[in-house]
Amino acid sequence: MYVILVYDMGEKRVAKMLKLCRRYLNWIQNSVFEGEISEGRLKKLKFEADEIMEDKDSLIIFTSKVNHGLHKEVIGCERQTIDQFL
Amino acid sequence: MKKNYYLFNPGRLSRKDNTLKFSPSPVDGQEVSPRYLPVEEVDSLYVYGALDANSSLYNFLGKHDVAVHFFDYYENYTGSFAPKKVLLSGKMLVAQTQLYLNDTKRLDLAQRCLDGAAHNMLKNLQYYDRRDKDMEPFITPMKALQEEIWHSKNIKSLMGVEGNIRKHYYDAFNLIINDHVMGIRTKQPPLNIVNSLISFGNMMCYSECLRSIMKTQLEPTISFLHEPGDRRYSLSLDLSEIFKPLLVDRVIFKMLNKRVLQERDFDLYMNRVVMKDAGKKKFVAAIEKRMTETIKHRQLQRSVSYKHLIKLECYKLQKHILGIQTYEPFKMWW
Repeated sequence: MYVILVYDMGEKRVAKMLKLCRRYLNWIQNSVFEGEISEGRLKKLKFEADEIMEDKDSLIIFTSKVNHGLHKEVIGCERQTIDQFL
Repeated sequence: MKKNYYLFNPGRLSRKDNTLKFSPSPVDGQEVSPRYLPVEEVDSLYVYGALDANSSLYNFLGKHDVAVHFFDYYENYTGSFAPKKVLLSGKMLVAQTQLYLNDTKRLDLAQRCLDGAAHNMLKNLQYYDRRDKDMEPFITPMKALQEEIWHSKNIKSLMGVEGNIRKHYYDAFNLIINDHVMGIRTKQPPLNIVNSLISFGNMMCYSECLRSIMKTQLEPTISFLHEPGDRRYSLSLDLSEIFKPLLVDRVIFKMLNKRVLQERDFDLYMNRVVMKDAGKKKFVAAIEKRMTETIKHRQLQRSVSYKHLIKLECYKLQKHILGIQTYEPFKMWW
């Protein structure tokens, strides 16, 4: 499935969260990730995120069964492309 | 589904924060910002450019079951880094060897493979026949040859039939592709644009098949149609026969006829043709897109991608080898 993940963490935990999300998804902007992920691995990600989080931290995941039908428009500079060619 | 990543630009790949970090080499003295790849969603890496890496990275890749395929400047496949094989099965290996040693059983399986390949090649021609290109002169002899597959007495004569089918098939390319001439099939090195595309595409198909075989219990060096020679994974050659027409050839036709790939995407040397980086990227992107396209599988009654189809083919082979179910090659029905 295709997901967009955003988080808002306390200053001390924000780097931890960044490192965790980088393992599963593509970073596109500060605190924002997107990418294709399997259901099982998403569960794993949520579990690991839960370990890091403390009260008042927030994590939001938008999921979509398919990635078409989801339109993406970048205005201004694109911080990071997510294609498969490096 | 896990993704393949293609590394064209020089740079350093390293393990960082338990994931992969690619730092491109500076361009004109300017640092380029690094890119992080989500290691959990990476299937294989295809390295076409110069890559710096150390053993700690390979340890890490091995743990996460990521394969790395290397290609030289002339697009030849030079080798792979393969993670430790976890799906080992002595039973499977013995059964596969036994089947290979039994001449009648081996011939039968090879015939089945080739029948599937011929069928898919014919489907390609029929597709263009419906689009006002007269393919009859190629289709008729190919159909006759397809019948002959079942009359061949040994592998050698079967390979002869295969060669003849392929000759007619490649002859048809001249008619299908509008602005380019294919002439005869030349490899090592390919001498014109069409040939260079076929070589490059086949190689991609070959490494994709190899990757699928590695995910199953099959032994990639013991093949049935091709002679299991040394120094190559010949089972993936068998398997790629079936998928080359639908994964590679169709993409080539489309990209040349729609003029997505043009002469300027190639370096035309005196005695070999090599794709430029821009051309490679376009072509790889197209094949990659094709791999993720899905079809409704008739037996499974659900959508499967072409990539997954290759793996399903491996499962069918396994079943055949273990005597559970007779192998029926994948045949295009559209």
